[in-house]
Amino acid sequence: MRWLYVSLHAPMGSFGGAAVDARGITRDFPAQSMLTGLFANALGWTRAMASEHERLQHRICFAALWRATGASVRRMTDYQTARLNHRDKAWTTLGAPATRSGGPATYLGSYQRYRDYHADLEMSVVMRLTPEKEAPTLDDLGEALKRPARPLFIGRKSCLPSRPLLGGYVDAPDISAATRAIVPRERGRYRVFWSPSELGATDFGLVRTTYVTDERDWRSGLHGGARKLCEGVLEVHGGEE
Amino acid sequence: MDGPRFLQIHSLHGYSAALLNRDDSGLAKRISYGGTVRTRISSQCLKRHWRVTDSPYALDRIDGAEAAVRSREIVTRRVIDPLRENYDSAIVDAIEEKFQTLVYGEKGGKKSSRQPLLFGEPEIQYLRQEAEREAEKIAAGDPDGTPAKAPSLKEWTKKARANLKVMREGVLLPGGLVSAMFGRMVTSDPEANIDAAVHVAHSLTVHSEESESDYFTVVDDLHRDEDDAGADHIGETELTAGIFYGYVVIDCKGLLDNLGDDATMAGRIAERLVHLIATVSPGAKLGSTAPYSYAGWMLVEAGDWQPRSLAEAFRTPTKPDMAAAEDAVQRHLERLDEAYGISNERRWMSVSGACSVPGAERVSMDQLATWAGERISCRSSSHDG
Repeated sequence: MRWLYVSLHAPMGSFGGAAVDARGITRDFPAQSMLTGLFANALGWTRAMASEHERLQHRICFAALWRATGASVRRMTDYQTARLNHRDKAWTTLGAPATRSGGPATYLGSYQRYRDYHADLEMSVVMRLTPEKEAPTLDDLGEALKRPARPLFIGRKSCLPSRPLLGGYVDAPDISAATRAIVPRERGRYRVFWSPSELGATDFGLVRTTYVTDERDWRSGLHGGARKLCEGVLEVHGGEE
Repeated sequence: MDGPRFLQIHSLHGYSAALLNRDDSGLAKRISYGGTVRTRISSQCLKRHWRVTDSPYALDRIDGAEAAVRSREIVTRRVIDPLRENYDSAIVDAIEEKFQTLVYGEKGGKKSSRQPLLFGEPEIQYLRQEAEREAEKIAAGDPDGTPAKAPSLKEWTKKARANLKVMREGVLLPGGLVSAMFGRMVTSDPEANIDAAVHVAHSLTVHSEESESDYFTVVDDLHRDEDDAGADHIGETELTAGIFYGYVVIDCKGLLDNLGDDATMAGRIAERLVHLIATVSPGAKLGSTAPYSYAGWMLVEAGDWQPRSLAEAFRTPTKPDMAAAEDAVQRHLERLDEAYGISNERRWMSVSGACSVPGAERVSMDQLATWAGERISCRSSSHDG
């Protein structure tokens, strides 16, 4: 089987989860929808291409691993303010302008919000597409990463990568072999997230199983459903393979 | 020739004894990188100062008059003319009359009285859909009636008036430039979103944070001798010094799309942005710290390869001086170029000239900005009409 390996390296990166009020959190792994959006951006797709996004999201199977051995995840929160005005308006394609609710008093102070990020992000994603032969293929995705239609970013637009995302291709019979092929040979432990239903059995040490909502309905723009996700450890024993 | 897809603008900027960007505790924003803490200036802080500055390079000083010729014709060219192939001229004329006045305002009927408006692809696509739909309705209606008096057109005019007035206000030059560059989001309608064509990374110091807590007192000069001898207020504020690495990417095609394909305007914007990045301070506390400085080093890359920040050059924190920073960038670029076999067109400016940049021509600030503008303005239109 052929796998694509993507490097997500940046001074700041974000894997958005459900935002509550003015706080936007980040998870420790990329959402299925985020990877879809990343490639759609690289391919030059527009937001209106909902069925293409839907299909690509369905085809992606991936595992994500934290590159820095033993390093704890470095989280940070960025504090942001904005001056809003009750008279702000914007045109819409729905035929009527969008307006702000509330009167002038509602907008007297600055609007404050918080956004979480991972600082000094070093993550690898190992993925494949099923079925393989359908367009876009893994090669199409790799080419799009090399020469994207638009600048790539990791989660939020200010999270510009510090390395090319395209790590390369790996030929391996399963996800365990594919991930081992991209980590250094020396002894180490890596934190890994993967979807068991898509990738089958692995030799990762299982730590916990959860359900996450990280698939987007691209027509409505809302996330929904639940996907089983495993979190575990990839052990590299070093020395001879 | 299509021109490069991306312009990457890297900068090294030194500031001393300032508090440029604060978080909610009043302390300088920070970020952990390569195992040490760096001082940070957020992306939104940088963008805001570039937007609102009154420097000679300010965006709102771009001369809009020349652009106005194209922007006054855009409804005619991109929205109305395409209809002429499929519909009677009487119908199209009726639609045109309504569109020009709704979009441009009451005087919209006459080309020379139209205001210069800045339309991007989202606006143009929306107007085309509306025009096509209304033309279809008139064509399907009473064949003996005058198109100009068609009831469907009258109804549409009433409904669309408010929306198009808001659109006009949003795309008036020069204000519309900000949306074209930094985007605009409407949560209820993603199709009306304007995608930012300028991506700005958070700036971080190339070395570990250098910070000092400044203890200060406030004394009432009108105090009389009999009064309490203490200060009226005591406090602390943080002061930091740093050489900040900044990184900005311009999505050239995206910028053109947001400007209705006006390559000349896009070139002017890019040129100004380079100057703004180099000279506009993102700092607060102007009165107490005078945080004004010019960039000591800037590099502009033009090419089609995936844009990438050079922050990795400073993963191991350098010494806090410009020569060390420039040296780190030069060595990192050399390694990157060799490892990936990639080269972009490069021009660079350096105040000290201490090091070199692989594959780059050293130029002055003005030449750097002009070159950046030319790399975009040479792009040809990708849309017909």
